[in-house]
Amino acid sequence: MAHAAVMGALSSALAILSVIVPFAGGLSLLVTVPMGLLGYRYRLRVLLAATFAACTVSFLIAGISGFMVVLNCAYVGGMTGIIKRRRGGIAMVLAASVVAGTALGLWIVGVLLVLHRLRTVTFEAITANFDGVMAVMSQFEPFRQSAQDTRAIFDLALQYWPVLMVAYSIFTIVLVSLVGWWALSRVLDRLRGIPDVHKLDAPAEVGPVGPVPVALTGARFRYPDADHDALRPLTMTVDAGEHVAITGANGSGKTTLMLLLSGRQPTSGTITRPGGVGLGQLGGTAVVMQHPESQVLGSRVADDVVWGLPPGTRTDVGTLLGEVGLSGMEERDTGGLSGGELQRLAVAGALARQPSMLIADEITSMVDQRGRDGLLDVLSGLAERHRMALVQITHYNSETQIAHRTVNLSDSVDNMVMVEDAAAPAPTVIQTSHSSEPVLQLAGVGHEYFRGTPWAKTALDDVDFTVNEGDGLLIHGGNGSGKSTLAWIMAGLITPSTGTCLVGGQPAAECVGQVAIAFQAARLQLLSSRVDLEVASAAGFSPHDTDRVVAALATVGLDGSLARRRVDQLSGGQMRRVVIASLLARSPKALILDEPLAGLDAVSRRGLLRLLTDLRRNTGLTLVVISHDFAGLEELCPRILHLDKGTQLPVAAAAEGAL
Amino acid sequence: MRAARQRRSVVLLRPVPGTSVIHRLWAGTKLIVVFAVSLVLAFYPGWAAIALTAALVAVTVWLARIPRGAVPSVPWWLWLLVLLGCVTATLGGGEPVLHLWSADLAVGGLLKFLRFTALSLVLIALSALVSWTTNVADVAPAVATLGRPFRKLRIPVDDWAVALALALRAFPMLMDEFRLLNAARRLRPRPVLPDGRTTRRRWSSELIDLLAAGITVALRRADEMGDAITARGGTGQISAAPSRPRGADWVALGICAVLCVLAVYLEIRGVGGV
Repeated sequence: MAHAAVMGALSSALAILSVIVPFAGGLSLLVTVPMGLLGYRYRLRVLLAATFAACTVSFLIAGISGFMVVLNCAYVGGMTGIIKRRRGGIAMVLAASVVAGTALGLWIVGVLLVLHRLRTVTFEAITANFDGVMAVMSQFEPFRQSAQDTRAIFDLALQYWPVLMVAYSIFTIVLVSLVGWWALSRVLDRLRGIPDVHKLDAPAEVGPVGPVPVALTGARFRYPDADHDALRPLTMTVDAGEHVAITGANGSGKTTLMLLLSGRQPTSGTITRPGGVGLGQLGGTAVVMQHPESQVLGSRVADDVVWGLPPGTRTDVGTLLGEVGLSGMEERDTGGLSGGELQRLAVAGALARQPSMLIADEITSMVDQRGRDGLLDVLSGLAERHRMALVQITHYNSETQIAHRTVNLSDSVDNMVMVEDAAAPAPTVIQTSHSSEPVLQLAGVGHEYFRGTPWAKTALDDVDFTVNEGDGLLIHGGNGSGKSTLAWIMAGLITPSTGTCLVGGQPAAECVGQVAIAFQAARLQLLSSRVDLEVASAAGFSPHDTDRVVAALATVGLDGSLARRRVDQLSGGQMRRVVIASLLARSPKALILDEPLAGLDAVSRRGLLRLLTDLRRNTGLTLVVISHDFAGLEELCPRILHLDKGTQLPVAAAAEGAL
Repeated sequence: MRAARQRRSVVLLRPVPGTSVIHRLWAGTKLIVVFAVSLVLAFYPGWAAIALTAALVAVTVWLARIPRGAVPSVPWWLWLLVLLGCVTATLGGGEPVLHLWSADLAVGGLLKFLRFTALSLVLIALSALVSWTTNVADVAPAVATLGRPFRKLRIPVDDWAVALALALRAFPMLMDEFRLLNAARRLRPRPVLPDGRTTRRRWSSELIDLLAAGITVALRRADEMGDAITARGGTGQISAAPSRPRGADWVALGICAVLCVLAVYLEIRGVGGV
């Protein structure tokens, strides 16, 4: 279901892009691919649901034309996908598309026969334009004869329009099918080997729900085809009203434990509960996971709280939102919430099910400091208030203190590296008197999104600073402070509405690529399928130049053997490093890192920080880090710039604010 | 592409800020009105029907207080195209003939072209009005309510409404991701490829790369959303407030019905007919 919706959204997004972005009409051919994928992987029902969703979305945005594009592509894409699943070949696609084209053509003819007035209007408009062109042509002696001939052909065509229409529709459907088939085959090849990050399965169970108290006795779990245990034998109990924190390094089985608690059978050992797990049921088990955005399913706050509850359930949305500190936000759009607010909303949605057990799986790891504090406030005391068991999985040290007891899954305490939180340091003086050359000069930079429309939103206002060669600057700010906008401006990806941003004396927008930027979502920046291809294409040399690939990887401390690895098999930390490696291989004037530490565990964080610090010290790399975190960044970035709601905080005021 | 970026950017799926009678109407009402009017225009696309629809659009715009800035800027080449169409259509001539001072101007062709253009315009304006005044969160519940009769035909309306709600939720996230993908592509140097590979091959491999990256991200997002759905015990309610028409909606539907009947009547009587 989720796949249907997201693929539907994807196809409508593509379709809308193709309709609204000029010269991108070719994109609409690719709308067939997501639909084809659905047809290939799932049943027809899913395809229909996705088509419906995509058509409605595109109708809302682009009107009838978007609707028609999506409908056509769903028709063709679904067909190619199903043929692909049945292992048909190109001949079958050709045959099917001819049949489908004929059917579509006949249908169009039928519709136009019924809507004869609309047909007349359209044909008259075309005829009028055509006549005009012909009239001009007839003015010139050499073209007069051909104009008359063309006119005759045109009349003939109008007369036999149904035939023409069917022929045209066969032609387009065949063409679109072939392009779609080609793209779908290539994409499917590429998608093979992508790990399935889908984790939870709805447990098939009958009988009363009763997940607590739960007792694990020597419970061990090993994934099929794995050569070691994901969770070593564990014995523990969780009682009602208890708040247990689970800690451990990456790979110690924290998430696996979550899966066992939410209903998966252990490979050996036993898990005993008085009743069923009741995942998501009233009085059962509720799970809140890591990614704030994917947790929240409703478009409006109040809708999200009740999302998925059985029809007819009455919920006191106001009280629930009040409990998680979101009171009065019922009507807000979920799209505008910060990560912390989204996670609190997810907790409210979980509480709406009055669970006996709530599992919070690293819910703070993608949230900024303030959001983290807010979430911890929500979690502390939750277990007592609701008489439920709260299992909190975390890799932050400070977060275990609100729990009643802590279970550590790592081998030994030595091995367990916990992330320490750091308090915000006072900003340092911005204008340092360096003798070195200025790399980035920003003067009075401001930016307003959607300028001139009712949706105008100021993201940045009057920001001035200079980054010199070899500097390390931390741009710090909370959600909506405009720090990402600033990063995009520095990289030349956005032209600021006011002020100037110069890179080595030139406007940044004219030298895109000279300032490298590593986005938070590293996966989106890795466009190629294999590491060596990726590094080569991003850095601009031939993928056969193995030495340079290995050298580039070595600069970020990655082994050359990784070069042949598929991008989708890399860990989060490795992906970031590959991105940095390919950016550095072009020797950029400066490197901007957007939230480089988000989503990394303690060990990867420390490794990446050490690497960046060394790089800056040894190669004189100019570095701008955008982050809401401070931990460990002092050495890397001696200079700090605070942003708040798009304005640069004056040094003195910011220092007071931080105290 | 670069020039396009400088233009007024297009805002998608966000209602014009503020509230009005139109904003408060039930989403289902607006969908019905758009559907009904489109149907009438499809069957009777004459001047009378177009004029009535244009009047409806104008009144709605006034009631909803849509500022001019909401209209996306039209690229110059589209203006040029329309202008060109006007010119060629005028040259096409035809009845009726206008007598302007001493010159005779046959505007029949122009009128025909203008009617077609006006027809497309009012249709676009109508659907734009829906998205300018409707919160996306209201659409899926309204569709579920409207689709209730189709359940008897064994059409899984509720599933579709859930899919629609999720698609609307996922859409802005995907657009952000596309923006990022495009930025990542722009940051790269022009690919260097060994000889023997043509530009076309390079273009196509780049395209597949982008597409694969986009689909991978979408699949991952779908997996996570699927997990979130499982964690909530499957699908069920999608809206906290009941979704059904209220008093004002019946008035709006009544007005729409009168307009449609009037348009059909005028068209059949042959006023400005075909």
